[in-house]
Amino acid sequence: MAATSMAAALAASLPAPAAAPAPVAPSYEAIPASMAKVVDIEAEIPLTCVQLDAMVVTKILKHARESNSTTAHGLLLGLDLDGTLEVSNSFPLPHHVSDEDDKSAKSVARYQASMLRSLKEVQADDSVVGFYQAITLGAFFNQTLLDTQAIHQEKLRHGGIIIVHDLSQTARGNASFRAFRLTSAFLDAYKKNNFSAARHEVALKVRTNPLLSSFLGVLTEPTRSETTDAPPAAAATSALPPSYGVLDLGTSGVTRNLEQIIEGIDNYRTEEGNLAYLLRQIARERSKADNHVAKRQEENATRIAQGLAPLPEEDVNRLFKIPPEPSRLESMLLLGQVDAYAKTLSSTASTGLVKMYAAKASFGN
Amino acid sequence: MTLGIPSSAIHIQPAGPAALPTAPRTPSLVTIHPVVLFSILDHYLRRTDSQDRVIGTLLGTRSESDVIEVKSSFAVLHSETSEQVAVDMDYHKAMYELHHKVNPREVIVGWYSTGSNLNTFSALIQNFYSQEIAPYPAIHVTLNTGVDTNEKAGVTAYVSSPVGVFPKPENCVFTPVPTELKFHDAERSGLDLLTETAASPSSTSVQPTTDFEILEKSIGSVSAMLDRVLSYVRAVIAGEIKGDAAVGKYLMDMLGASTEDLEKGGFNASLQDTLMFSYLANLVRSQAEVSSRLALVTS
Repeated sequence: MAATSMAAALAASLPAPAAAPAPVAPSYEAIPASMAKVVDIEAEIPLTCVQLDAMVVTKILKHARESNSTTAHGLLLGLDLDGTLEVSNSFPLPHHVSDEDDKSAKSVARYQASMLRSLKEVQADDSVVGFYQAITLGAFFNQTLLDTQAIHQEKLRHGGIIIVHDLSQTARGNASFRAFRLTSAFLDAYKKNNFSAARHEVALKVRTNPLLSSFLGVLTEPTRSETTDAPPAAAATSALPPSYGVLDLGTSGVTRNLEQIIEGIDNYRTEEGNLAYLLRQIARERSKADNHVAKRQEENATRIAQGLAPLPEEDVNRLFKIPPEPSRLESMLLLGQVDAYAKTLSSTASTGLVKMYAAKASFGN
Repeated sequence: MTLGIPSSAIHIQPAGPAALPTAPRTPSLVTIHPVVLFSILDHYLRRTDSQDRVIGTLLGTRSESDVIEVKSSFAVLHSETSEQVAVDMDYHKAMYELHHKVNPREVIVGWYSTGSNLNTFSALIQNFYSQEIAPYPAIHVTLNTGVDTNEKAGVTAYVSSPVGVFPKPENCVFTPVPTELKFHDAERSGLDLLTETAASPSSTSVQPTTDFEILEKSIGSVSAMLDRVLSYVRAVIAGEIKGDAAVGKYLMDMLGASTEDLEKGGFNASLQDTLMFSYLANLVRSQAEVSSRLALVTS
């Protein structure tokens, strides 16, 4: 159904008229020369939107669920076209236990290279545009994630994006995919090791190609059973019956959410304690150094008064080591996590309220 | 949840393990994860002009109870002319090893091709895969993309058995096996999202949606259904339509659900809980906000 209307819609939205059929055509390599206006080699057109292919959606869904924790991550492949980043494929990365392990890092790199080569052979897109990460309960700030993204941001075109997929929300009936990139302000700060800003969300669209749309249409279409005397439930079956899981009144996820909030707060407290300890240490060292300088100045004053050469004042730095200012990134991330958990909890609570009143309205009187 | 075109074929099962205790049982059911279907469709879209169909390897798990779960797939290079067929074995092996690294539980269970015709080449490729995963039987899944006119989109799974007095690789009988779409409940919402996207005129949908929007949509559709039921019931009562006893029974079961728990103070208790959650969440959020501001002050 969508083949022609899709092309028309795209033609209307793109500045170059000849460019329209390209995304709909089955092969991506046959991009005409007039695409020059929308394809920017220097990556000058800023990204405004990320478009996820249906296959990528299911791949992430499956990977995230099967690896049952927040360790599921993988790479996104695709192309950018006139400010829209089209993610057309993805593959999972093997889960490695320790990031420090040099050997595992190497094997991951090797895995990645051979996977990309293999995908290229079957005409799939093979340029890495970002990566995805599965999370639970809305908390996606953590140190390793930021580190990985900071590394990617330098290597990739447009700095690479990250797709965050919320497992717990999906289980509750709202398949959640969000796209982010690091703000440049954060990157600068990250390099200098102090920061204030974080991420910038990019609009995300999910797209199904026309072939897939029609196929899904067939799947959801109820098919009449061949046997005439079947019971009504079996008579009209569809591969994908409609579901109403969203309307479930249960609040089973809340306990877990509360536990995680408490855990987050505990972690934050520990981190704050560490920070305070470090700050106290710095203050102590500094006052020692100040005392030393003051003493030396006094001494020098008396020495000058006695007509002697003053002692050097520069050896303070050698004598007293003032520790560097501790990084607040960790504590900020933990706060962000706590905030995200609380946000999820409050949204669960508010939808719960709506559902409860709906249930009461229908049965209560 | 059967896939594909309903048929009146009877699925014949061999005598079972009692007859041949050593041989593995022939699969009686093939379940397919949606990601496999989508990957196959994507591969089909990316084929070269000269290719009539595409093939690839299916990965999945075999359970004890002769059910094969197909969980993922990858494309395999192949070329087909009227005289010969060539499958890139090295590519297949390399790709399998890569997949195996990420998900060691998934093993080769068979292969897929698009289009629904089975020919000599199918038999040859089937022979290759059967050797690859012996002693287990290889399954062959054909996916009709529905691109050709007069053909319905659908999926069929087959098992093969040799035929003839002297078994030859190019001779085999493909027997259809019941096929089902299977996915985890947690993935349900993702598929809903996709079907919704597919139904929208531009084939795109904007993310992320809030919980409320989805809730609103579901409540809307439930209330639309209630309206339909109500109008039907009114029509029956007014005598315009002859009532269907089966429909009436279902409605009775559906709407007669017990609400005892809600009425006996359950509502108030759980309302208090929910309000407490909401309060707590807001408290935590404001504390976090204050804390982050304080951190800025001290540094």
